[in-house]
Amino acid sequence: MTPDSPIKLVSELLDLPLIDSEGSFCGIVDDVELSGGAGKALQLKALLVGPGGYRGRLPAWAFWLVGKLAGDRLTQVPTEKVRTIHSAVHLECPGRDLGLHQSEAAAGRWIPRRGAM
Amino acid sequence: MNPLELTLGIMTAVGGFVDISELVFAAKAGSQFGYALIWVFALATVGIIVFSEMSGRVAAVAKQPVFNLMRHRLGLKLGLLTLAASVVSTLITCAAEIGGVALILNYLTGAPYVLMAIAMTGFFIASIWVLPFKWIERTYGLLGLFMIIFATALVAINPPWSQFAGGFVPQVPKGLSTKELLTFGYFTVAIISAVMFPYEVYFYSSGGIEEQWGPKDMLTNRLTSIIGMGLGSTLAIAILANSAQLFGPANVDPEIPGSAALQAAIPFGKWGLILALLGMFFAVAGAAIETCMANAYSIAQFFGWIWGRHKKPWEAPRFTLTWLVLLMLSLVIVLTGVDVMVLVEFAVLFSILVLPLTYLPLLLLAGDKKYMGEHVNGLFANALGWLYFAVITAAAVAALPLFILTSGGNG
Repeated sequence: MTPDSPIKLVSELLDLPLIDSEGSFCGIVDDVELSGGAGKALQLKALLVGPGGYRGRLPAWAFWLVGKLAGDRLTQVPTEKVRTIHSAVHLECPGRDLGLHQSEAAAGRWIPRRGAM
Repeated sequence: MNPLELTLGIMTAVGGFVDISELVFAAKAGSQFGYALIWVFALATVGIIVFSEMSGRVAAVAKQPVFNLMRHRLGLKLGLLTLAASVVSTLITCAAEIGGVALILNYLTGAPYVLMAIAMTGFFIASIWVLPFKWIERTYGLLGLFMIIFATALVAINPPWSQFAGGFVPQVPKGLSTKELLTFGYFTVAIISAVMFPYEVYFYSSGGIEEQWGPKDMLTNRLTSIIGMGLGSTLAIAILANSAQLFGPANVDPEIPGSAALQAAIPFGKWGLILALLGMFFAVAGAAIETCMANAYSIAQFFGWIWGRHKKPWEAPRFTLTWLVLLMLSLVIVLTGVDVMVLVEFAVLFSILVLPLTYLPLLLLAGDKKYMGEHVNGLFANALGWLYFAVITAAAVAALPLFILTSGGNG
């Protein structure tokens, strides 16, 4: 499967994990952004990652709850940054270059860096 | 193959089969119904072997643990519902294990239960923080082998082996009243749930990825699941049979985990009791760590976070914070003073309700040639998988009514 495959692959893309070029998990495909319009072919423009992508996919009350717990951040991953799509979406670059590891970095400030084998 | 590679299966199975819930259910089942429920353990053991092997194979080939698959296959809404139910069920189980380990330490040392629960939570945090995954599984997997004392005790008391063997034949005891029949049904469902706890598969498949299994590890996966689960099942059946032989005729109802330890004290005296309590301590401690990590794996995988204890805690910060918070929450549940046995009953009930949702995506993916290539489910694995899916779905449907009608198996 490649990112320029037919648009019907969108449903297969949703909820796949993203793995960056360093082999780190960096989110899930929570939504997709399409380009095009009336009379034009639809194109997959970007993958959207973050709890903001749950809008429209969850009942309003559940989305409100998620928003309170995790915020509504949404990060765009342009399709040209996608290397392959299989059982996961593999990216061509490190997730941090696309702004994907912000929450990990924020959580990391709470974790002492000592004591582990 | 290095025999130490089997420790993932041993820890998964010892933590799943002879955890606090099994110590109670197996002993109670033997005391109330003699050998008549052994076949349920045997039936469920084949089921957990089938699904563990499948989850390990998917982890090795598609490099996907169960919760990644679940979200992709079930979609966000149903996936989130499954995650929520699974987290609640596994959190309650983890609390029950912490309470159980505190009880065992209380039996061993006489130290106050609450103090032991707090101290053990601290010890679990230190274990997961300090030890990499391989050492966690080896330490708790191998020390849990003290539980073999229960199988040794069974041989020592020399039960009527023909009756014991007859317990492997599916049966419903004759002459039961309606109330007893319902209780037998509840025990059947509860044993299937307790043997096939979803957290075992979450832990096992994530463990396969922690150990960086690949297609070359198919044999390791198969042997690990068969030997590990087989061993766990043997120990649980030994506890049931000891109870059938020693407690049933004396009308002893082994309501508390400490009762099971007496099974080794009867043939072997003080040292039997100490070894049994040590075995129970390490098995239940391993189960506490297994449930906590399984829950953290599930949450991290569902949201696509960096996860795993093959990484240093600060290299997977959200995963680390998650298991820390889950352990603290489990401790808070214990500190409310709720009875460990009540926790066990609710954990078993919640688990059976999420079993079908846990195993369906796994079954679908393991049978998908596009993902699995030459390692796709064969005819036999598929047939067994769907057969067990039907069994757990029927058990899930029957669980709640039976729980209500029998007051959680208490008649």
